[in-house]
Amino acid sequence: MESTTQHWRYDDHIPSEPDCCATIVGMVLEQLEKNGWGNKDTFGIHMAMEEAVMNAIDHGNNRSPDKTVHLVIEICGNRFYSKITDQGEGFDPSAVPDPTDEENLEKDCGRGVMLIRNFVDVVLYNDKGNSLELTKQNSEAEA
Amino acid sequence: MSEFECITTEALEGATIVKFVDQRVMNPARIEALGGELLSLLDGTHATGIVLNFDGVSFFSSAAINKLIKLESESKKNGLQLRLSNLRPEVRDLFSYTNLDSLFQIKDNQFDAIESL
Repeated sequence: MESTTQHWRYDDHIPSEPDCCATIVGMVLEQLEKNGWGNKDTFGIHMAMEEAVMNAIDHGNNRSPDKTVHLVIEICGNRFYSKITDQGEGFDPSAVPDPTDEENLEKDCGRGVMLIRNFVDVVLYNDKGNSLELTKQNSEAEA
Repeated sequence: MSEFECITTEALEGATIVKFVDQRVMNPARIEALGGELLSLLDGTHATGIVLNFDGVSFFSSAAINKLIKLESESKKNGLQLRLSNLRPEVRDLFSYTNLDSLFQIKDNQFDAIESL
C-alpha cells in the first residue's frame, strides 16, 4: 500500500469481518479529505463502499473465516475507483427487486444495491456477480 | 434514561424524543442493538408518538434504515405515530432515493415533528 495526498492506492485481501469494513472505509474517508473532496461526494463514496463491502462480507462470503474480500481502491486527485471481489457464488443484480416499489418498501432486500448505484457515477458487475467496480469523479472539482 | 447504549430518550410534550448516540450509524453489532432499543420504546408507552431526531447523525447505513422500517411497522400496530426530524441533506437524500419518504413522515426540525403528532 502506498499513500500520498495525490495518488493513493490500496490493494489487499481483508477478512470477512464487519470491523475490517469500518477500518477500510475510515482510510478512504481520510484520503478523500486529504484530496479536498466535499461533503456530498464523500458521503456518496462512504455509502457506496459501506454497502458494497458489507454485501461482500455478509451476502457474498457469509462472514466465513475461510473467505476474504479482495479490495482495490484508488484515489487519484479527483477520481475515485474501487473494485470489490468476494469469494461467494455471486448474484444477478438485475434480478434484485426494486426496493422503491410500493410493495417492496418495507422489505429489507435490495436497498443497499440501489444506494450503491445512486451514490457513485459508474457501477460495473462481473458476469458471475461476485465482483463490482465503482467509479466516481469529484463533482466539486474545477474543470 | 441510561438503560440504552445506542440512543438517548426524553419525554417532551407527550412525545418520546429519541437521539442517536453514534454519529455514524454503520456498525452491524450496534445496529442490531439499536433495533432492539428502538422497539423497546413501544413497550407500555403512554406517549402520543416517537420523534427520531437525527441531529448529529452524519451517516446511516441501509441496515440501520431497515431497523427504522421495523419500528415504523410496529409503531403503527401499537397506534403510535413516528416522525423523523433534523436530517442532514445527505441523510435526507437516502430517504428520497429509496422512496422511503413516502413511508416516513420527515420534518425539518423537532418542533415541527412534535406539532405534527
